Amino acid sequence: MTDPISPRDDHSTTASNAGPTRPDGGNSTRADGGETQSRVFLEDGDAELDRGPLQRWVDDSIKNPDKVYRAMFYTAAIFFLVTTLFPFYWLLMVALTPEGQLSDIILTPNGFNPGAFIEVFQTIPFHWYVFNSFVIATASTVLVLVVGSLAGYAFGRLEFPAKVPLLLLVLVISFFPPAAFFIPLNDLFNTSFFILEPITGDGTLYNTPGAMVLPLSAIFMPLAIFILTTFYAQIPDGLEDAARVEGTTRLGALFRVIIPLSAPGVATAGVLTFIAVYNEFFFSFLMTDGQPESWAPLLEGILAYQGQYEVLYHLMAAASIIGVIPVAILVIVAQEKIVSGLTAGALKE
Amino acid sequence: MATDTDGEAVIGSERRSETDRTGNAVVNWMENLSEAAYAYLLLIPAFALLALIAFYPLIATFITSLRADQTRGAEPLGGFVGIDNYVDILTGNARLARQFIDVAFSTSFPFVEFGTPFLQQALFVTIGFAVISVFFETVIGFGQAYVLDQEFRGRRWVRVAIILPWAVPIVIQGMIFFLLFQPEVGFGTEVGQWLGIFGPNPLADSQDAFIIILVADIWKSSAFMALLILAGLQSVDRSLYDVARVAGATPWQRFKRITLPLVLPALLVAMLFRTMDAMRVYGLIESSVGCTTVPSLTCLVVEAMFGGTRIYATAAAVAFATALVIGLIISVYVVFFRDTEGGLY
Repeated sequence: MTDPISPRDDHSTTASNAGPTRPDGGNSTRADGGETQSRVFLEDGDAELDRGPLQRWVDDSIKNPDKVYRAMFYTAAIFFLVTTLFPFYWLLMVALTPEGQLSDIILTPNGFNPGAFIEVFQTIPFHWYVFNSFVIATASTVLVLVVGSLAGYAFGRLEFPAKVPLLLLVLVISFFPPAAFFIPLNDLFNTSFFILEPITGDGTLYNTPGAMVLPLSAIFMPLAIFILTTFYAQIPDGLEDAARVEGTTRLGALFRVIIPLSAPGVATAGVLTFIAVYNEFFFSFLMTDGQPESWAPLLEGILAYQGQYEVLYHLMAAASIIGVIPVAILVIVAQEKIVSGLTAGALKE
Repeated sequence: MATDTDGEAVIGSERRSETDRTGNAVVNWMENLSEAAYAYLLLIPAFALLALIAFYPLIATFITSLRADQTRGAEPLGGFVGIDNYVDILTGNARLARQFIDVAFSTSFPFVEFGTPFLQQALFVTIGFAVISVFFETVIGFGQAYVLDQEFRGRRWVRVAIILPWAVPIVIQGMIFFLLFQPEVGFGTEVGQWLGIFGPNPLADSQDAFIIILVADIWKSSAFMALLILAGLQSVDRSLYDVARVAGATPWQRFKRITLPLVLPALLVAMLFRTMDAMRVYGLIESSVGCTTVPSLTCLVVEAMFGGTRIYATAAAVAFATALVIGLIISVYVVFFRDTEGGLY
């Protein structure tokens, strides 16, 4: 077993083996499961030969390919960690660098100026934009969860003739680009409605949270409906029947039995909707005039630095970091929900 | 809400008297609906919202797209012109700053001529962006999913790190890559020039900016792919691998013969989702390199709407054409992969 491999311990070939050919070379001769045997040989051989750590590692790897896979796996994991996290780290370095010394930042900031994180709020009312974003995202999430729960209950637990066509119709909506909806909506939200006058002043929805909450709720509702349908359908009929026999109304059964029992699913749909609305660009960008008093969300705050304050790169970076923090916390707290929600929603569709 | 009506008449009329206390006519009526009627009732709010935000605008967009542009006068739109706007945008004659598509056919090789550079035509920019980004996101997402599928210490935190870019607001994603490739601040330009792919000002050059957009999108969206592929990977029966190992299959054979076929349905769904999303790209471009440099289909709609030239009908035609292109791509996916085990839906 070790015979075809041991010649490779030769110095000239170890170099070539250190390359990517290693897994193949090690593995093709190794697939029959003689691992324990080769380990015994390995220990004998190592004791006699005087070799450097690299060669010993290579030799070891050839005899024990699992170790190579482990190494490849760690290399890949570290590569992905670095590529996903480095932009955030770099952003922090830019934010910490004082104005005017912003060139050639790679791993360390040129100076230390944490004041940028306070300056962000002084230059423009950035907190106002963040607050607006929170209000819009929360309102959309509540609307999506209530309306989506009703629909999810109907799709998940009731039988009716048009079920499949209607479900497909919901799916189709999530396929269309927002641009295809935008032009008439822009007209509609700029039209003055008499009923709205006491609420919005001039009677239009433009520059109000409604102009963003309504379209964003509609656009992200399909995903929530699919997630909630999956979860609601899993509740045993007996529990609902018991509640009904006890005298609960139909809606009461939904809100007191089905929804509480599907709390993880509701949380999942809620977290995903919140992140999606908070991150959305198209309607958030076009449905306000960009002023914080007009309910302009976070993205207008960040773009304000790009437009008006062209050279304040460190503030752009600091504002971006502040904008990421809420979703980063959500991801850390609710990562399992996000994973299960995305997969449940997508695979259902 | 009717949730407080505990002693509601569920079965018969003998308890009707109790409804005086809690219930009302609406609750009674709801209790007596058939299952199908109740289902439709519950769907009304959802479909009312979708009708207002999606169905009505879609139809209105289509109707607007059939009318003429009216650049002067009080009325925003001219008379009915049929498919003229579509003919204009498809032949490169629309009144747009960047064309939807501008290709002429010729008799000599290669039989097509570009009226404007390839990357200044929105359709090609968008499709090119979708194809290339989805390809790389699939490959990288597969790698990430493979890593997350292993058991190791700290997996939770690696998963957070990999999901994190997906959760970043689009505007911040754009800002990060704007700063990275901004010659004064970021080192991205120097790296690109060192590699020989970037010119002096990548943010203003169509080709360089296109690459920046691709990198930014791959950075953010690979995670989405990874999560969906991971779901597929985790549903694979582990004992299959043991059988394959005993039978002497190499890891590559195990991947090709077991993993790939079983993950394929999840992979196709993920690719379909990403493709649709990539076809709508707008915010990333707007917040980093700008729509003039890399005009996507959605960019065209917004510029036509707010460009000050009052070409609303053309804007509507571009918007509807975008929806049609996406619909076409979905149909292709569905037709090609209908027979795949598990199916698309």
